[in-house]
Amino acid sequence: MLLRPARTLAAATMLLGLPALANETVRISGWGGSEVAIVNGLLTDVLAEKLAKEGITVKYEPVDGEFSQFIINGLSAGTAPDLFYVDIFWARSVFSAGQALPVTQDVSGFAANLVEAFTYEGKLYAIPKDFNTLAVHFNKDIFDDAGVAYPSDGDTWKTLQEKLVAVHEALPEVDGLCLVPEYARFGAFALSTGWTPFDSRGRTMLDQRFRRAFEFYTGLVKSGAAVLAADAGQSWAGGCLASERAAIAIEGAWIISALRDSAPNMNLGTVRMPKDLESGKRGNIVFTVGWTVNAASKVSKAAAKVAELLTSKEAQQWVLEQGLALPSRTGLADNSWLRGGRPEQMTSRVILEGLSDDHVMPYFFGKVGGSWMQPINAALNSVILGETDADTALASAQSALDRMLAN
Amino acid sequence: MMARKTAADARPSRRPLPAGALRRRQLALSTWLYLALLAVATIMTGTFVLAFMASLKVDPLERPFRVYFDQLNPAAWIAAARLGQEGAGDALWGGLSPGAEVDFSVTYGAPAGTEIVEPKAEIPRRRPGSGIAAALMRHYAADYASIALKSSSSAMMQVRAEKGGLQAWQTRTFVYEITYRTDGQDQPWIERTPLNLTAPPSQTLVESPISPSRSERRGRLLSWDNITPGVLGLIFNNYRRVINETADLETGKSLFGSWLVNSFAIAAGRLVLTLVVASLGGYALARLKFSGSRFIFAALLFSMTIPAQVTFVSNYLIFRDLSLLNTPWSVIVVFVASANVLLMKQFFEGFPKEIEEAAIMDGASRFQVFWKIVLPNAKPALLVNAILAFQGAWNDFFWPLVLITSPPEALTVQVGLLSLRRSFGGAQGDWGLVLAGAFISIVPVLILFVLFQRHIVSNELTRGIT
Repeated sequence: MLLRPARTLAAATMLLGLPALANETVRISGWGGSEVAIVNGLLTDVLAEKLAKEGITVKYEPVDGEFSQFIINGLSAGTAPDLFYVDIFWARSVFSAGQALPVTQDVSGFAANLVEAFTYEGKLYAIPKDFNTLAVHFNKDIFDDAGVAYPSDGDTWKTLQEKLVAVHEALPEVDGLCLVPEYARFGAFALSTGWTPFDSRGRTMLDQRFRRAFEFYTGLVKSGAAVLAADAGQSWAGGCLASERAAIAIEGAWIISALRDSAPNMNLGTVRMPKDLESGKRGNIVFTVGWTVNAASKVSKAAAKVAELLTSKEAQQWVLEQGLALPSRTGLADNSWLRGGRPEQMTSRVILEGLSDDHVMPYFFGKVGGSWMQPINAALNSVILGETDADTALASAQSALDRMLAN
Repeated sequence: MMARKTAADARPSRRPLPAGALRRRQLALSTWLYLALLAVATIMTGTFVLAFMASLKVDPLERPFRVYFDQLNPAAWIAAARLGQEGAGDALWGGLSPGAEVDFSVTYGAPAGTEIVEPKAEIPRRRPGSGIAAALMRHYAADYASIALKSSSSAMMQVRAEKGGLQAWQTRTFVYEITYRTDGQDQPWIERTPLNLTAPPSQTLVESPISPSRSERRGRLLSWDNITPGVLGLIFNNYRRVINETADLETGKSLFGSWLVNSFAIAAGRLVLTLVVASLGGYALARLKFSGSRFIFAALLFSMTIPAQVTFVSNYLIFRDLSLLNTPWSVIVVFVASANVLLMKQFFEGFPKEIEEAAIMDGASRFQVFWKIVLPNAKPALLVNAILAFQGAWNDFFWPLVLITSPPEALTVQVGLLSLRRSFGGAQGDWGLVLAGAFISIVPVLILFVLFQRHIVSNELTRGIT
């Protein structure tokens, strides 16, 4: 009801001849969760005037559930929205099918590695809207009660593990970390050794460096530093942190909105990923999402304009200050908001620093896509569960990867 | 007489059991049967009851599962009603509105010798982290309410010690008053009044009108999501959230309402279509002799073996070309079960041919026979078909999921429930919302069954007897 006068006003200003374009409706879509508040806030608070001036009405349709499925169905049936999210994880399948329009605007303000991630055959197909990296989030109260020093930026794998073991010894009901047998978290450790997912010939070699990270990660449970998330009755590490079952969680900034719902008063600290003792370096994975214009859109120009506005400096500044996501524009990296002391400010700062870790790779695996991770995930799972030893698991993962990449 | 004699002669070796033994055997048999039925019923309703209980909880996944909590505790209901009344003059749904003066008392206890300090009380600015709630939240109690300690008093209590025997504990009761500040310009009604109490872990909360929603910071902080819930607001908090937090971002109207309407429209549409097609088709196959009728019947039977997933791509493309995607029509017409036609055919075949022939002798046309004679007598079969069709359409998940994807208000309730699974980092859902939504969604089918269950089991025979 409140919006109606605003809309009438917008219509009235348009009648006065201000807009350059005729009124066009652009359908945009992204996934739900904490994103709804971000996009809706941008459209109704930050960008409302500008959109009215351009004569664009935006119809925002958040989709909960399987977004990639929704968009791929929609694209093949011709019912997809004009502008939609693409996750770097599956973006390639949309780009290679010619279902996205190349970006024409100037993208010099955006972080180069994010732009690179959405570039396919020399053309940029999506404007990165935000990104996430992994960090160590910890519950200060647990460390206080256990009398153990907080995790710090200077931690190595070993010192972090020692702290977690000490916490578990002091407080038996608390585990150090909830572990998920997934490359999406383990990858940061593997990368910090200097290992790369693909060598110069495009092959994946699970070499000694990978093995070192693999043994450390799978050994966390045995050493008493960690427990499998599923064994703690949770589906992800953030659930364990929220329920105070685990002292730390290795996750991205998305954990902030989850904690707002399930542990709003947690005394939270965030530090960077631990370093590999041998290489002395840090690794990290970059998760990023962009806005893509549907190639079949009838209002592609207006859709591109909406994408431009949604990723403008003003919009990203607002998103950043809500503590909801990290901006993809490098200009905002030294924003004064990031220097504040509130948990979301601190977390955002650390996540942003993660982008400049020593070995950072996007969460993206070339043309094989997400199935590339499956042999590694299976190996992690079977070793953590004690079904096989590292030798057998890695050998079978290596041969599965060889078969996959040979084609 | 003859029959009885023959039966007795046929089994000469079996002597009738003594009356007592026979009776015991019958009793044992019926006891086993009764127990088996009871077990089945308990398993069926037990999960149902547990799920319903979980749908009322703040955390439905809590372990261990408690069966006694505030939402089922009459003392908490009374307290919630009082708090709602004091907060907004609404004992049912509560809230906080101008003029509110809420007294909230908490009692902390500690072993003798440990000092009980006054907890730090705060009305936090609690912001939903996800979903539509986060986008729609406009007013925070923190901006309008102030909290102050009104009085405190000390007492002693006996506590059962860990090693057995009684132990004397001291207790202190703190009464807080929460008031609505009147200095601001606008004075909105606020749905929830959260409260945080921070106290050293050495003292324990022993009494409060309603239990804290969660204990955080390893026992240092007790947090209430809403201290002015009202009795229904306390019990049906998740249900209220389902309605309020699935709102259209532009109009603020509840999406759940439109999902229910859509589901109802689709189920009703499919019911009508099924009845028309199944009765006409069934009658034609049962009575009309035309070339190819056997082939059609065989095709019908064969089509029952094809799962919907096999044809969904082609069906989807057809609907796209007809521009029926994202309309209820696509889901209504996509699926008329051949099983319904078969059911009607079987019924019509059992219908006495002589009556129809008599009608034809009287000059009725084929359609008149069908419409005036056969159909009015086919009510039981039609009802069974109608109920099956309605229930099938209401519970259908696959077709609405595939055919209706946007806008959000066009979904059906079963697909809409999916959107209540908020996710962070790929996991974790708001199960309170999902369970509450699922329970609301079964209400129409439940009503339908209660109203028509007599017809489902009745037929001409039983009707003649009763």
